Amino acid sequence: MSDKNISSPTRGNTSCHAADRHRSHWVERFLDGWSVYRKNTIGRIGLTLLGLFALMALVSFIPQWVSPIYHPMTGVDPLISHSTGPSMRHWLGTDYIGRDIFSQLLAGARIAFMVGISSALISILFGTSIGMVAGYAGRRTDLVLMRLADMIMVMPTLLVVLILSALFGQLNIWVIVLVIALFRWPGVARVIRSQTLSLRHRPFIEAARVSGASHLRIIFRHILPNVMPLALLYMTFRVTSAIIIEAALAFLGFGDPGTVSWGMMLQWVWKTGHMFQAPYWLLPPGICISLITMAFYMTGRAMDDVLDPRLRKEETQA
Amino acid sequence: MNTRVSSPILSMTDVTKVYRSGDSLLGASGSRVVALDRISLDINAGEIFGLVGESGSGKTTASRLIVGLETPDDGRIRFDGKDIVGLKGRARREFTRQVQVIFQDPYQSLNAHLSIFDAVCEPLVIHGIGDRASRRTRVCEALETAELTPPEVYLNRYPHQLSGGQRQRVAIARAMILEPRFLIADEPTSMLDASISFQIFRLLHRLRETFGVTMLFITHSLAAARNLCDRVGVIYRGRLVELGTARETIMHPRHPYTKALLDAHPRYGGSNHHGFGTLLDVERPRPETDHCLFYPRCRLAVENTCNLQAPKMKNLDAAHRVSCFLF
Repeated sequence: MSDKNISSPTRGNTSCHAADRHRSHWVERFLDGWSVYRKNTIGRIGLTLLGLFALMALVSFIPQWVSPIYHPMTGVDPLISHSTGPSMRHWLGTDYIGRDIFSQLLAGARIAFMVGISSALISILFGTSIGMVAGYAGRRTDLVLMRLADMIMVMPTLLVVLILSALFGQLNIWVIVLVIALFRWPGVARVIRSQTLSLRHRPFIEAARVSGASHLRIIFRHILPNVMPLALLYMTFRVTSAIIIEAALAFLGFGDPGTVSWGMMLQWVWKTGHMFQAPYWLLPPGICISLITMAFYMTGRAMDDVLDPRLRKEETQA
Repeated sequence: MNTRVSSPILSMTDVTKVYRSGDSLLGASGSRVVALDRISLDINAGEIFGLVGESGSGKTTASRLIVGLETPDDGRIRFDGKDIVGLKGRARREFTRQVQVIFQDPYQSLNAHLSIFDAVCEPLVIHGIGDRASRRTRVCEALETAELTPPEVYLNRYPHQLSGGQRQRVAIARAMILEPRFLIADEPTSMLDASISFQIFRLLHRLRETFGVTMLFITHSLAAARNLCDRVGVIYRGRLVELGTARETIMHPRHPYTKALLDAHPRYGGSNHHGFGTLLDVERPRPETDHCLFYPRCRLAVENTCNLQAPKMKNLDAAHRVSCFLF
């Protein structure tokens, strides 16, 4: 059979180049999801809060640029040598050596996003690829990977990081991010694996196999787009847990001493004995940690609502 | 009647597939389901062969074994004289160029995230055929072959924007784009309306006329098999019970099961009613020994024969074979 045989007699337009421009598939899917999401009150609240925190992170560079005394780490107000309450000069007051609490709070937002999102990204990357491979390969690969996941899942992340920092001294913030990520992928891997298992025997996967597609091609071209929304959903939950773990570490005194995170601020309050003397210092970082984790969690819940009917629909198969 | 007698392009010899459930690593065996039991059949180049049977009879398993989605537990499958069980690497890729499948459910057989162009083009990409421009032309031609015209309209659409019939045509275009020599159609119309089914049958017929592609058509409908196929094989619980030309097998069925299938067919009026009445109202208990699998349901069964051994395929004439002690 030759190439020209396949042309049909009814062919009028040979060129095939008059492609009608459609909005991209993913844009369309996003808009679809958004139209469901925006009806969700919890989702709207979460997203608004996230927007506020993102704004805080964005403007965190401004105070030190206005005056070096507002630098969150090194900016000491020469006129103040102890903790003072809110004033016009320092909107939220100062800490025990006269650093501006407001600018520390802004810098903390930046660190929270950085830690949360980067460690969530890494753990999603690991979790999704390991989950897809385990679910698709099955048999021994699946067994080994999932037992590994189980082992890591039962290890208390906080304790491991504490031991690590006891061994190696103060940990750099990126090391902390990496360790959190490496300990948080098993949950993602489990979910992605089960989703992959349900996809694996779908006719469109088998159609690809019948066409001679390689395993890599099937995993990345056919399975990945189908588990992607779920991975994104889990990412929001991983952000939450990463922020909490980092805050706990910093509060316990094992954070990166070179960064101003909210947990670190709480540690300073506690260490310097201002816990119940300086509510203007204690409350803002505490409230911020609660709110940002809540915001990510609410966003995740709302995304869950967007995805869930579709997931259920996709799981009904003959 | 199409009688294109030639050498078999696909031949199955004593192919057996057993599914075991509840197997653990320690080898404790669970239940066994025999999906295919020593099936032997030849499909000749250029013909449309129908495999007819009720659901669960193993007809889909047969197609999965042929394309290598599963491996048989016993027996040989040869394509073009070459053994195709457990092909790997280059040999398998070469084989997948020649054998393609149209799946049953067009709602499941297309990836929702791939545009029609990407879906139809994928086999070309996998096999590294053509460049961007020539692929586009070929995709358009394949869509036209599947009677989706004008093809440009469909290229950038997604499966959820198409109807069931259109999706099945996309699946056909995808299967045909590599210009395979052998096409398996696994109940391609069971999810479609009757009028759409008829169009798909016509399309399959035309594909055979135009490209000379050999087809294995899997169906539960004798009417569809009669309409489309040159030869049919009737399969019951994993065993081939009757094999012959479509006309002969369906107009003059021999095996009690084939007759029962025809009896079950709805008809207008009563004039053309066969009334073979080969099905028992109350099933007999299943014998412990090897037996004809249809024995528990067969009105014509002979005691001490049908319940004691399995019948072998017998030639009634050159083309018609049946597996029953009555002949």
